Order: sequence, then C-alpha cells, then structure tokens
Amino acid sequence: MGKEIKYTGTPLKIIQEKPEMVVEWPRSLKHFHTYGKLTKFFQELKNGRLFATYCSNFNCEEKRLWLPPRADCPDCNQLTSWIEVPNPVIGEVYTFTKVEYPGEGIELEYPYFQIDIDLGSQFATIFKSYLLYGEPYIGMEVIAGFRTDNPTNTILDIFWIPKK
Amino acid sequence: MIKFGKGNLRIPKWQRPVYVVAGGLTPFRKRFPEYKMEELCAMAYRQMTQENDLLLSPKEIKGLLNFAAYGEFADHFQDQLLCEAKVHDYLGLDPLPNIGVKTGGATGGSTVLAAAMAIASGYADCVLAMGWERMDEVDTKTGNFYISTAACKDFETRLARMYTAYYAPMARRFTEIYKVSETTRAKIAVKNRLYAYYSPYAQQGGKHTIEEVLSSKMICDPLRVLECCAMSVGAASMLLCSEELAYELSEKPCRLYIAGGTHTLRVADRRHMDIPMLPHEKSGMYDELLKEITAQGGRWPGFESFLAARFAAYMLYRMAGIKNPIEDLDLVELHDAFTISDLQTYGDIGLRPYGEETDYIESGDAYFGGKCPSNLSGGLLGTMHAVGATGIFQGIECLWQIQNKYDKFHGDTKIWEYCKKEKPKDWISLQVLKAKKALWISHAGVGSHVTAGLLEKAF
Repeated sequence: MGKEIKYTGTPLKIIQEKPEMVVEWPRSLKHFHTYGKLTKFFQELKNGRLFATYCSNFNCEEKRLWLPPRADCPDCNQLTSWIEVPNPVIGEVYTFTKVEYPGEGIELEYPYFQIDIDLGSQFATIFKSYLLYGEPYIGMEVIAGFRTDNPTNTILDIFWIPKK
Repeated sequence: MIKFGKGNLRIPKWQRPVYVVAGGLTPFRKRFPEYKMEELCAMAYRQMTQENDLLLSPKEIKGLLNFAAYGEFADHFQDQLLCEAKVHDYLGLDPLPNIGVKTGGATGGSTVLAAAMAIASGYADCVLAMGWERMDEVDTKTGNFYISTAACKDFETRLARMYTAYYAPMARRFTEIYKVSETTRAKIAVKNRLYAYYSPYAQQGGKHTIEEVLSSKMICDPLRVLECCAMSVGAASMLLCSEELAYELSEKPCRLYIAGGTHTLRVADRRHMDIPMLPHEKSGMYDELLKEITAQGGRWPGFESFLAARFAAYMLYRMAGIKNPIEDLDLVELHDAFTISDLQTYGDIGLRPYGEETDYIESGDAYFGGKCPSNLSGGLLGTMHAVGATGIFQGIECLWQIQNKYDKFHGDTKIWEYCKKEKPKDWISLQVLKAKKALWISHAGVGSHVTAGLLEKAF
C-alpha cells in the first residue's frame, strides 16, 4: 500500500440542513490590479500632482482633456499624451450623493459624500471622487487634495475640499 | 463627441422573421436554498414546454432545437464558470451548440438578441433563450461589492462598492435639471411593488404608500431602499423559432423585433452630442431644452438620459414600424432597477419628450387601465432582478399579455402553489385587453448596454 493521501482542508460549516443542505465556503483570495499605461496618473497622485491626457493627433476633432485619463483616444484611436493639471486644481460639484450604505470592503468612513466634479470646458469628461469634509451642493467650488502621506496607491489618493 | 458615420445608423435587416411562442419562469426569491441553479433552470424549462399550450410534446420540441443562448451576469456570485455547460447538459441538450452572453443587467435582453439573430440568419430554426442568476451564495454587502465591480474598477468602484451610489448622482442631476418631485419617483415604487403583489413569481410585492417609500431607509441620497431592486435567485426560459415552426408550435405566436445600443461604462465620460431622433419626434423640438440644459452646465445625454436606450429604440422602432410608441404600444416592461432608471427611460424611448418624463406617471398613462401601462409584471422593484434572467422574464411577461394569458400564469391557483405562495384574497387581473404590441427594455450598468425588444401579436 502506498502513501495515504491526507485531507488538508478545513471541514465546512453547515449553514442549514433542511429542507436542503447549504454549507459555508470561506474564501481569502488575493487579486492584482493592473494600472497599465495609466500608471503615471496613480504615481503622480502620490506626488500631489494631477495628470490628464489629450489626443496629440493633429487631425482629431477632440481637443479636450481626458480625466480620468485614457492612454488611447476613443475618437481616432491614436495614442494620447500626458499633461499636468496645475495646482490648485479647482472644479465645481456637478452632482453628488451621500453614501450611507456602501458595499463590502469600503475603505472610507461612512456616511461620506461622493461627488462628481466639472473641471471646466477644457475637459471632455466629469471626474468622480469624494469630499473630505463639508456638505456639497451643485455648483460648489472644490479644490483637489492629495494623500501624499501614507498613500493608498488607488483612486482614493485624490480627494476634494470646499474652496471656501 | 459621438458623430455617426453613414453606416452607424443602418437599421438591422433580418433575413427572415423571428417568433416567440413560449416562456417559463421560476418563482424569484432573495434566497433559494431548496434548489441548485440548474434545477431552477429545469423548472423554468418545464413550464416553458409544458404549460404554454404548445401543439407539440416536450420531446418533440426538444427534437426541434438547434441552438441555445444562455445569460448569466456574474460567474463569481455562485463560483461557477461555464455554468452554461452545466445547464445545457442538465437540460439534455448536448451536443447542440450554445453560447454564453454577458452584458451586465442587459444580459437577458442580449441573450434574446443572440437567440433571435441565430434564427434571423438561418443558423437555427428553433432556439432556447435562457437566463438565470444565483445571488444568495454571498451576503448582501459582498453581493453589492460584486455588482459594483460593474462600475469602473480604476476610477469608480472604490468610491462606493455599491451600485446605488452610481445611480444616485444621476437622480440628483435629473431632479435638478427637470425639477422633479421625489414623490414622482416614489409613485413608481408604489406602482410596481403593487403590481408585484398580484404576481406569484414576485419576491417583494406589497401595498406600500408614497409616505412609506419616502420614509424608508436612505441607501445613497436621494435613493431610498424601497426605490431599489433587490438581489434575486431564479431563472427564465423563452422559446424562439422561425415563422414556419411558430404556427406548428402555437396557435398564439408573437413576432419578435429586438435591437441594442451601448454607451460608456462611466456616466461621467458621456460627452455632449446630438440627440438621435425617434420617428415621431420633430427636428428642432429639443433646441430650447438643450439650451436650458447647457445653461445649467449640462449635456445630452449626460447624467440625465441614456444614449444606449435611445439608440436601441431608434433602431427598434424603425425595424418594427413603430411611428409613435405611446400610441402604438399597448404595454411596456422597463428596467426599474431603481426608480430613477425607470423615470429616465421614459424620455429615451419616447413615451414622453425629454424633459416631460414625469408626465407619463402623473398623467396615469403608466398605470393599469392607462394608455400604455408599464411593469404590470411587478418589474425589478417588485418581482425580481435575477440579473441574467431579467430581460427574458420581461419579454415573457409581454408574451403572456399579448397571448391573453396573464390570468393563466398569474391567477391560477396551481401557479401560486408552484411558486409556494398564497394567492391574495384581493387578487385582481392585470390583463391588458386586446394587447397587440408590447415593448421591453433590458438595461445594464448605468446605461452601458440596452436592448429594446418588441413582441407583436401574430395570430
């Protein structure tokens, strides 16, 4: 008789046996998040700098900035270029919500205000983030802040504060 | 700016007509531990083949199938990749070809679209379109996180991990631009949950008041819990076929038209563009509205409207010869995952002009007995959002209305027993008399994918 194969797992906890059986299946899985060509955006947040992209194809009609950035232009499908949005970055609250019931794993103390920020006509898009403190209203001026100490290496490294 | 090239607005031309003859549903529940997913699929399949007054036996119908399209939103909810293979085998359909379809909340509609294209192209004569979801193998907060990964993982997911938080900014913006009372949104919740009260399949039907909706727990301001759909478990099954087979299989076949549209995953990426006009809309009719919107820093479709729904309706109405939806349609089933998504869609599909969406509710048109009632099934708010099944369930409810079978599938005591629910003593029929045309909208994300389907009486 050869070596007997041992069970090395942990027996599953029974949640219910009637009318049919359900068992618990605990997981602890590690995923990776690839930033690809957007790496510069996330790295620069840690330096307190906000970068957007723009299409450098002279023939492309879309001249405005992309923020969130895109490494490729969706209109002409050519590569974009980086440009810094100089500090202080000021925008207006375009819309917002008070998040009272977030999903599993939320990394912000709640409730908090998630805000969408209009950065002006030179930008093609609106930027989603959160308000560090205060109560937002549509049209409220806000200034970008950066988590340069103990950065999260995520989009949470940028936040906004009321201008006044 | 999206600018259409000359090929982009081509109206789909199918090689031959497509019909729907039968549908089957399971009851929908928040938790459904009595059955495995494939067992629920078998239940829906049995109702489809055995309870729809088909003229051939289940064995004969099985012998006609050439192809299957399967919809499931998220493999990770039940930790089962390739569930399509498991279901296909369980139904005994190997080695017929099948494909899995995944377009978020529009998965069900896209599954019907894939099935229809197989018939329209001649690849198949008889196709099963089935969808399902099992959302009870994780807790609600984990489920909310999983769903929020259908927001942009780079720039959005970490900002809420909760999908309501991506709709709530739209609700606020819509309210601001169009001066909408939250009471109108509450009326949608009251209406659809009431209709679900009469459905044996429904997960959370009930007789609520506007005050109850407005005082219910806030999830993400301004959306409250009674304005949000719940996670569901269940399956839906639809039988599609060619014209020739339609009349061999059924005395009450319905002709199907269906088209799709898409837009960005992130609402905030939606740049201003010209509105594609529906057949009944006149050039220039939105000029003043657009001036007002842009004066408030807005854009079209922006946060208020869904280009994907508008594009799908643009195509569908021209495919199906719809001149004016509010006049030509007898009922609609809309994607009321949230009250606001329902409200936004009224303008997109032309039930009302943009800016006048609330009038569809306030006028009474949207109610049973109104001009074009919506979500008599109970919709997503009241009956179900077992995501992969949803767009199929909606189509089946349209089918049964046109076939004059609302009572058969919602009122029969046996159906209530099948769903293991007690039929309310004050049950009423929501059958629309002489319904000939019914539309349903299947919708994903914050409007990333939409299909618009239409069933037309063909008997």
